[in-house]
Amino acid sequence: MNLHRIFAFTRRILLQFRHDRRTLAFVLIIPLLMMLIFGYTFGGEPKGLQIGVVNLDKKIVIINENNLSFASLIIDNLDTETFDIKYYSNFNKAEDDLQTSKIWAVFYFPANFSNNLLTRFSTDQNQDISSQIFLNLDGTNPNVDTTVVKELQNALKKTNDQIRNIFSLPSHPDAITITNSYVYTNAEDVRFIDYFAPGVICFAIMMVTIIITILIFINERRQGTLQRLLTSPASETEIVLGYALAFAIIGIIQCIVILLTAILIFGITIIGNVFLALIVVILLAIGHQGLGILLSSGAKNELQAVQFIPLIIFPAILLSGLFWPVESIPSFLQPLSYIIPLKYGIDAERAIMLKGWGIGEIWLEIVVLIIFAILTLSLSVILLKKRK
Amino acid sequence: MIQKQVRCPKCKKIITLSGSCGETIQVTCPICGTRGKVVFDKIDKTSTEENKRNYIINTNNLTKKFGKLIAVDTLNLSIEEGEIYGLLGPNGSGKTTTIKMLCGLLRPTSGLVKVFNQKIPNKNIMQEIGYMPQETAVYLDNTVHENLFLFGELYGMKHDKIIEAEKSILKFTDLYNRRDELVSNLSGGMKHRLSLACALIHNPRILFLDEPTVGVDPELRETFWQYFNIISKKGNTILITTHYMDEASHCSRVGFLRHGKLIAEDKPDILKKITNKDSLEDAFLTLTREGI
Repeated sequence: MNLHRIFAFTRRILLQFRHDRRTLAFVLIIPLLMMLIFGYTFGGEPKGLQIGVVNLDKKIVIINENNLSFASLIIDNLDTETFDIKYYSNFNKAEDDLQTSKIWAVFYFPANFSNNLLTRFSTDQNQDISSQIFLNLDGTNPNVDTTVVKELQNALKKTNDQIRNIFSLPSHPDAITITNSYVYTNAEDVRFIDYFAPGVICFAIMMVTIIITILIFINERRQGTLQRLLTSPASETEIVLGYALAFAIIGIIQCIVILLTAILIFGITIIGNVFLALIVVILLAIGHQGLGILLSSGAKNELQAVQFIPLIIFPAILLSGLFWPVESIPSFLQPLSYIIPLKYGIDAERAIMLKGWGIGEIWLEIVVLIIFAILTLSLSVILLKKRK
Repeated sequence: MIQKQVRCPKCKKIITLSGSCGETIQVTCPICGTRGKVVFDKIDKTSTEENKRNYIINTNNLTKKFGKLIAVDTLNLSIEEGEIYGLLGPNGSGKTTTIKMLCGLLRPTSGLVKVFNQKIPNKNIMQEIGYMPQETAVYLDNTVHENLFLFGELYGMKHDKIIEAEKSILKFTDLYNRRDELVSNLSGGMKHRLSLACALIHNPRILFLDEPTVGVDPELRETFWQYFNIISKKGNTILITTHYMDEASHCSRVGFLRHGKLIAEDKPDILKKITNKDSLEDAFLTLTREGI
């Protein structure tokens, strides 16, 4: 194997991208566009959601010389940008509006809300008494539901902190932990866009790599350049590795474009190691590049090649866990998810970017991607070596 | 039918053979088993003379079948160093299949290809071969320079050597001031010239040219033949396929291919003489009729 030859192939392809502006745009703008479209359609938190509040809380406590109930304190802490709050004097009226889709949710504070809370403060560890907020949701839009629940939680957290300060009870912190009473515990403040960005990176790289490889290889065959390469001293392995290296580099550039968009425009944060995230992207690009070479041999021209694309893309979108967790896919389809390499890429990227996991936790995904890459590249070499 | 006597180069036994005009047959000496080839071309040539020659490309009963179709049928070619050998025949006669087997792109169904006495495919021999496929096999989205540079590097040339070779080849093919232009912007003729340049960059000892003049205007065809003559004069060997019979008069030797079989092989003048025709095209047609 000769490194000079491998680099010669790589350089030629990269130079081709430099000259062919439209393909370059496809390679760079598609991921960017995907991030923007997905980001704005799915990632943006819903705003101005109409919700109903029924506050029947009777007990008034004196806070900062103001007479307030705990319930109204919580309501005050609700994010006014997310919610457009409509007040109801009784629960049934609010429920009617919820039923007729005039509002997305009803927050119902019962009469004993503050009272129960105070009892809980004073009688430490009393599990029987709890203050409850009844939350009725529309339930048709998961994104809205999550936002409503999450924003309520934020308001509770804020209120909790305020109460800690006002009553200054550092010795009994447990007594004022309101969150215990309200069950909705989702400690992590992960937005949908955060969850989504790693998936978009993997998906964009997979799609662009497969499409471009298929088209480039069909051209190689049709123009006769591949014959020329095969009659040169360059080995089939060198050809395939030259391409793999080029697409690894392109994959890195794409990944950086998407990450920058995600960070600068959508403000996502990456907890884990960026280099590890790039390694996953490289493996994903190399593996799919090999797959592209294999698929290209099944097509005689561009028209036939394009027909492969939905065949590859749709299962990948639907079964890889890009939108829905694999567990929520019907069980008879789940085995398919586990043979889609993109799934492992997305799992690994999410673990790195959202949970900050390292190689110790995601080694399995990395191994699967390495096997996928080795498999497709070896098969590509065998395919090129095969002579009629 | 002509009768011909040849002397075995090894045991000196005289063998009497009969064959039709222009036919090439394989002979095995009944005494010592030495193999040789005899061409029936009226002018008596002994196998002794044949063996003295330096054949660098040899095929032995080369056969290629695609399913039931026999594309190349027990083809025996021997090409000398420095020759311009023209493989002539109509479309579908097996020219491209033959040339692809010679470069190792197709695997023979049976028979053997040897270049420099080495069995093909062999990556080491590839260093000595330049191949110009029928298609304009150059990268359209790269510049002229980038194409030549890639192929130079693939043949293990050092960068300064590539630049040096590139300069003279670009001058030779009249593309010097197009060096940094994108290939997709070049005219069809220029692309063809670049394709030839790519096959020449590593100064190969053998050139396989698969229909280099198809779809090329008469002027460029003439230029191409000038190139080929210059290359051949440097001692390089050229095997060229074409279905333009008139072009073949430029060749030092031609082989007529029909239905994958070599029906005649000799110098263009001799082929014309033995068929009593003025053009190679008529000679081909005459030989074809005789074959039937």
